[in-house]
Amino acid sequence: MSGLGELGPDRGPVRTEEVGTQVPSAARRVAADPVKALMHRHRDLCERAVDPLEIVAGLEAHGITDRTAARFRHRDVFSLAEEMYARVPRDADTPPRPTGRPTPRVQTAWVVLAVLPGALCAAAVAALRLTDGRPRLVAATAGTLAVALALRALLRRGPLSATARTSATWTCWLVGYALLGDGLLRAALTGGPDDLPDGTADGPWPVTVAPVLALALACAPAAASAHFFAVRARRKLAASRGLADFSAAVRPLLTGTFVLFIGAVTALVALTGAVLREPAAYPQALTLGALLLLARMLTVHGHTHAPALVITAAATAEAAAVATLFAARLPGCDFLALPVEALVAAWGPAGVPTAACGTGALVLLVHATRRLTKASAHAEPEHPR
Amino acid sequence: MRIGLLTEGGYPYVSGEPGLWCDRLVRGLEQHKFDVYALTRSERQEAEGWVPLPPQVDRVRIASLWDAEDDGVVYGRRTRRRFAECYGELAASLCATAPLKAFGVAETAAPRAEATGTHDHFAHEADRFANALYGLAELARHEGGLHRALRSETAVRALERACRAPGAHRAAREARVPDLLTVAARLERALRPLSLDWYEDDGLGAVDLCHAASGGTAALPGLLARHFCEVPLLVTEYGVRLRAHYLTEPDASPPVRFLLAAFHGRLAAETYRSAALITPGNTHARRWQERCGAERAKLRTVHPGMDAAPFAEAGESPECADPHTLVWVGRVEPAKDLVSLLHAFAEIRRAEPKARLRIVGGPSGSEGAAYLAHCRNLAAQLFPDEADGPHAVGSNPVSFEETGGPELPSRAEAYASGALVVLSSVVEGFPAGLVEAMFCGRATVSTDVGAVVEAIGGTGLVVPPRNPRALAEACVALLRDPERRARLGAAARARALELFTVEQNITAFHNIYLDILSRTPARRVVLDDTGEPLPFSVPAEAHVPGRWTDAKVRAVARGGPAWATDTPVRATVRSSETDGSPGSGGPGGSGASESATGGGRAAVPASVVEVAGAAVPASVVEGALTVVPVSAVEGAGAASGSVAEESRATASVSATEGIR
Repeated sequence: MSGLGELGPDRGPVRTEEVGTQVPSAARRVAADPVKALMHRHRDLCERAVDPLEIVAGLEAHGITDRTAARFRHRDVFSLAEEMYARVPRDADTPPRPTGRPTPRVQTAWVVLAVLPGALCAAAVAALRLTDGRPRLVAATAGTLAVALALRALLRRGPLSATARTSATWTCWLVGYALLGDGLLRAALTGGPDDLPDGTADGPWPVTVAPVLALALACAPAAASAHFFAVRARRKLAASRGLADFSAAVRPLLTGTFVLFIGAVTALVALTGAVLREPAAYPQALTLGALLLLARMLTVHGHTHAPALVITAAATAEAAAVATLFAARLPGCDFLALPVEALVAAWGPAGVPTAACGTGALVLLVHATRRLTKASAHAEPEHPR
Repeated sequence: MRIGLLTEGGYPYVSGEPGLWCDRLVRGLEQHKFDVYALTRSERQEAEGWVPLPPQVDRVRIASLWDAEDDGVVYGRRTRRRFAECYGELAASLCATAPLKAFGVAETAAPRAEATGTHDHFAHEADRFANALYGLAELARHEGGLHRALRSETAVRALERACRAPGAHRAAREARVPDLLTVAARLERALRPLSLDWYEDDGLGAVDLCHAASGGTAALPGLLARHFCEVPLLVTEYGVRLRAHYLTEPDASPPVRFLLAAFHGRLAAETYRSAALITPGNTHARRWQERCGAERAKLRTVHPGMDAAPFAEAGESPECADPHTLVWVGRVEPAKDLVSLLHAFAEIRRAEPKARLRIVGGPSGSEGAAYLAHCRNLAAQLFPDEADGPHAVGSNPVSFEETGGPELPSRAEAYASGALVVLSSVVEGFPAGLVEAMFCGRATVSTDVGAVVEAIGGTGLVVPPRNPRALAEACVALLRDPERRARLGAAARARALELFTVEQNITAFHNIYLDILSRTPARRVVLDDTGEPLPFSVPAEAHVPGRWTDAKVRAVARGGPAWATDTPVRATVRSSETDGSPGSGGPGGSGASESATGGGRAAVPASVVEVAGAAVPASVVEGALTVVPVSAVEGAGAASGSVAEESRATASVSATEGIR
């Protein structure tokens, strides 16, 4: 309690006697309304203050104390600030809104990165086509590795980067199935495969390069559409007044972005099919592309759970389809192959991945239209430290 | 006694402003156990490492405010509804009209007719906030996943609804979607202590007292510990967090500023309401706290303690000062108003031509450097160089110096060199430099800003700020009157030694700990393996200050005159008194009293321990209990004692010198 005695109102610190000198200047300075002059001096502070205490803090930072406040006929700075806060003229119209955050610039770095997987994949496919034997194996391995690294780099920065970790295994499985799965399925139905894939489309285990190349090339439109969506959504965020407004404005944006991407993938599939002289695998490539894009966009905006679940489910379904075919070769297990055989009979081997990825993409599309149209999905990620 | 010290961005780490104070507190109160619960603000801070911790710090628990990890819990429908309710209440209480009016109510609004109704309304709002806060805390404790929920759409929607509700404040009504998102993110950050696992029986539930080293976020764990475990809370604020919030948030849009200010204001109000005691560091902080709803009865001003030792030599030798020299010491920046000082010095020179001015201190920042250059120019223009004779080299009567060189090794030398210390600031918090000058026993002339008047009391001259003439007149008056100077200097030193030493700070906190504990002892029921309450598991001695399990410790804390404990000591341990005659009966300060305690009183705590461990007869515990009130109440004195009979002569010595 040692300090308490000194805390009452000033115990009369020894003040100098300058009463005589202060009177004339005080009379000159103090007009009819001294607070008005003070408010004019601190008008920025008064206008932007949201409550009296903010004015108090600002005034005190300018050296105004209770002794100063006494000159304005107030007991303390708090009551002085209350008067100032109450007297600030407030117009009925809202102040001009500051324009939204500056849109992130399109950086050449991620544009290059977005094109890189497609370019590397095209080079790898060319190498596959032009080589044979052991060099072809080396080319395939090197190409896969290069594309994987390029993808990894693309997913680390730019519009497709996400802070959360995602499981790459199942995604790789889906792409791998697009490359080898149809051939394997077809071979398994006819009792094969008799040999390992040799990188050609007409071997015992045919490889379908065209959809994979199309997907690798589609990294660029994917990045572009993600960027487009993020930027436009942010602009809408700044412009909209309520959460419902924002959702209503973003929903067509999301649909538009998705349709644009699908269009781009369709064109790419057609192009690669024509160049590589393979049948254009529209259904598999489109559904897989849609699934991967939606999953990535959800992940980028902070929803990691559903994409991981759906991708895992789709991959598991594809794996199960192949596995049942081989399991049916065991004695007494013929019935296991029935569903897949029926599916293939109706839709061809493309039916399996199309069904798996299409269902997944549909689920994710519904999920995305619910989640990505929410404002909380577009909150600025925090950059602490 | 076990103290839970709650810090934010400070103590165990090297950087951070309350670090030094907390370190002195913990080191000074070695008879208590400390558990440090620290919230860190940045990765950089964590990388800097800890200060060396004394042995009385039992454990340190760290949680980072900058890096919340998502525990992956996704709420189900029912939990989400509960969260939405709590968060909606929180948001609604923030958006309510004119929330900060409430803080003035306690003192001003009484006579008005509608005052009681207003008061009820604001009390209701405050309750709403507190209930919502504790609701969220309970949710975090039982379900987890609060981090994700606070950033979810549910939270943003609740915020929006509160902002659009009728009766919401004008600034809140203007909130747009980006503002809502910002507020949600900031609230999530501010509420991160809710998700910590500190509020269990092995955490803050095990301490006897929570001591929050600052208000705001650091006090939040204390609030929750009080809510969950009934641990009393002590809040120390040297700078008011709410005020700092206003000053550090200039750029955000009005709705964001309004909502965050409302949150911090309500959090402060709830902290002050729940705290057992509040210790502001100066009157300025105290006024803010009163304004934010702190009851006057709970406020105890504890001035910051400063190390007086470096200034002792200067303080004891007032004659070494040059009688014509004025000294200004500090960091050079525009708020110090050196220009005014130079103008005042020009007037002083007119009256006292032999006067000289030493300005000691380096610039702070680029602005300060520019200001220093400006002041040098002004000094060169105002005062031409002077020489003693026609053949001597002249020098300017105003010198700009920095400490650290061979002429001025430290600030103590700077103060000691002058007869008069001048402070000319226009803005000042707690004037540490002024207190240092007081320690040096120098007369001071200072401007009436910040806590200057409070620090100086009646022991120096105070003039209005921005008034060079008044400053000059005060300085001339003192320069011409060495006797008055000496008188004021001696009074200033006495005042500083009484109020602003580290020792008084530590003693004050020690007494406050005892005060709180005597009024709100934490009642804890310890269960044994079968779930039955364990009798005597927490004996009364657990609340005795001092490590009662340690046989070598004083049963009475520092303080407590020796006669106060004599009778119970002799009553309980007459046998040990015979061989307990310590050889060091002479006046040896705390060391002597320590050894006297070790010899004469060793048996008391030891026997108590045995009894408490075995949990058998109540009579011995009763016997020990007679010691307890004595130490708890009388121990709140100022001296350090607890000495056996024959060293009573020592007690008076230790009362004056052996405070540490």
